[in-house]
Amino acid sequence: MKILIIEDEKDLVETMKNYLGSEGFLCEKATSWFEAEDSLSVYNYDIIILDLTLPGGDGLDLIKLIKERNKDAGLLIVSAKNSIDDKIKGLDMGADDYISKPFHLAELNSRIKSLARRRHYEGSNEIVFNEIKINVESNEVSVNGEKLDLTKKEYEILLYFMVNKNKLITRESIAEHAWGDSISYADNFDFVYSHIKNLRKKIGQKKGKNYLHNFYGIGYKFSD
Amino acid sequence: MKLLKKTSRTYFIISASAFIVAGVIIYFVVSFILEEELNENLRSDIKSISRTIEKDKSIPHYYPFVEVKKVNWQSPGPYRVIDTLIFDKKEKEEIPFRQISSVKSIQGETYLIVVRDALIEKSDLLMIIGIAIGLVFVLLNITLYLINRKLSLEIWKPFYNTLDKLKKFSPDDPVFNLTEESEIDEFTEMRNTLESLTSKVISDYQSLKRFSEDASHEIQTPLAVIQSKLETLVQYPDLTNDQAELIKSAYTSVQRISKLTQTLLLLTKIGNYQFPEKVQVNLTDLLEEKVNLFEDHIKSKSLIIEKEIEPGFFLETNFFLAESMLMNLIGNAVKHSGKNGIIIIRLLNNSLEISNSGSPLSVPSEKIFERFFKADILTGSHGLGLAIVKEICKLNKWEVTYLYLNDQHKFIVQF
Repeated sequence: MKILIIEDEKDLVETMKNYLGSEGFLCEKATSWFEAEDSLSVYNYDIIILDLTLPGGDGLDLIKLIKERNKDAGLLIVSAKNSIDDKIKGLDMGADDYISKPFHLAELNSRIKSLARRRHYEGSNEIVFNEIKINVESNEVSVNGEKLDLTKKEYEILLYFMVNKNKLITRESIAEHAWGDSISYADNFDFVYSHIKNLRKKIGQKKGKNYLHNFYGIGYKFSD
Repeated sequence: MKLLKKTSRTYFIISASAFIVAGVIIYFVVSFILEEELNENLRSDIKSISRTIEKDKSIPHYYPFVEVKKVNWQSPGPYRVIDTLIFDKKEKEEIPFRQISSVKSIQGETYLIVVRDALIEKSDLLMIIGIAIGLVFVLLNITLYLINRKLSLEIWKPFYNTLDKLKKFSPDDPVFNLTEESEIDEFTEMRNTLESLTSKVISDYQSLKRFSEDASHEIQTPLAVIQSKLETLVQYPDLTNDQAELIKSAYTSVQRISKLTQTLLLLTKIGNYQFPEKVQVNLTDLLEEKVNLFEDHIKSKSLIIEKEIEPGFFLETNFFLAESMLMNLIGNAVKHSGKNGIIIIRLLNNSLEISNSGSPLSVPSEKIFERFFKADILTGSHGLGLAIVKEICKLNKWEVTYLYLNDQHKFIVQF
């Protein structure tokens, strides 16, 4: 799976490349409008990550170019402008998703994977980790073949963990992923903890192993 | 003091002094001329009396006006002018008379001819002049007042128009301009000066706002770098607990700055009228939806929610702003209620009330909508949520009020 990251901030582009690279994606970067134009005219990409505030030209113009040259590519827009206008314009012009800066790497990865799943159907609607299986089409989870009943939030959290397996995911990232803006009105992360506790308990009841490990109080890692 | 009153008063005082001076001068001039005229007449009377004596040989006598005596022991001399008082029997008072006497020798006889005429009484003269001047004075001042009033209504009109416009001036106003030019140079100059002043204020204010917007944008990218680097850093397997603790606190702070700049950006954008699209928003549904987002918050704090929501309440406004206002009001209520607190949500009679239980504020309640206002020190609270609510209400011309009643902090938005 080939990804083109169009982003002018070199430090950020490297971190994104490394993170997504470690998830098995093949990443290339373009740090200006012209580099992006070059890459787009030469190669084909499965997914394109585009920062709308690029030196050398309007990012929205680049969407047109992408749609001309690489129309099958999934397009994720990144913008420092947390602006509704850009979001709506971008989505209208054919972008598939929108993420605003600063974002969590785990969130970026989860969005990219969901885009990738939507692009390539073969067997990609199942996510498996040892005995745990998620069917993202039917939103069903099974442990050792047995159906697991999860609340919507628990499901979202488990899916988030499984697409970011073996990575430490911060509490903030989990909370924002599952609760969105409303999380900023919480006094603490108590209900994040309690959802994770319930998730562990439910998986344990179906004889599943505990893969959810707390790390330093920063967050959790879903791993063996 | 009003300009009209002030000018009228000045005209009055100055013209009054001028009229008093004029009155005194007129009095002296008139009395001088009258006396001269009187003397002239009396002298010519003496001459004509002399002629009458010469011709008719008769001696005229009209007391007190003419007296002629033979005085042969005297030698002819010049005119003698004196003033004298003569008792008037009719009016029973003494009246001042001018008397001119002369000794003349006519055909060998020597006569003392005395002629008199009543002088105009000084007080009478004074009174006549006073009345005349007073009348002119009153007339003049009435005319001046009328002219002034007409002028202030017509000529000052552009001034008052400009003043009215200026009273409504706000640097926020995107379409501020002063009134049309006046035909009076001073007003045109004032208007031009004010216009350059206000356009300077507006442009300074705009660039300040643009600055906050640009600054917020520019901050987001480095923040994204820091955040992603920290998220990468925690992936290293052999972190010590101390290192992890350092990363954790740096990470928490990055999150806070990020939230803060995003919120400031939102505030700036509301102030910059960047949410112009209006739609019919189903506030009933939106409110229910937003309350549901807080389900877990509510559960974890065991809050009691009392809802009274009118079905099918629509509002024409910007969808995103309506959403943002509800999130901030509900979020604020959830955040500031203690465990087992009560939250009341009412959407009735064109008004929205969201209140939460809690102890009274320790600071003046007018400050509650100010930026960076914090009633208590809660982590992660940036004190901008209610400022956003206020801005959104201001933009939509809704009225938002805060009051503390029955142990409840109440926020009421009147649509």
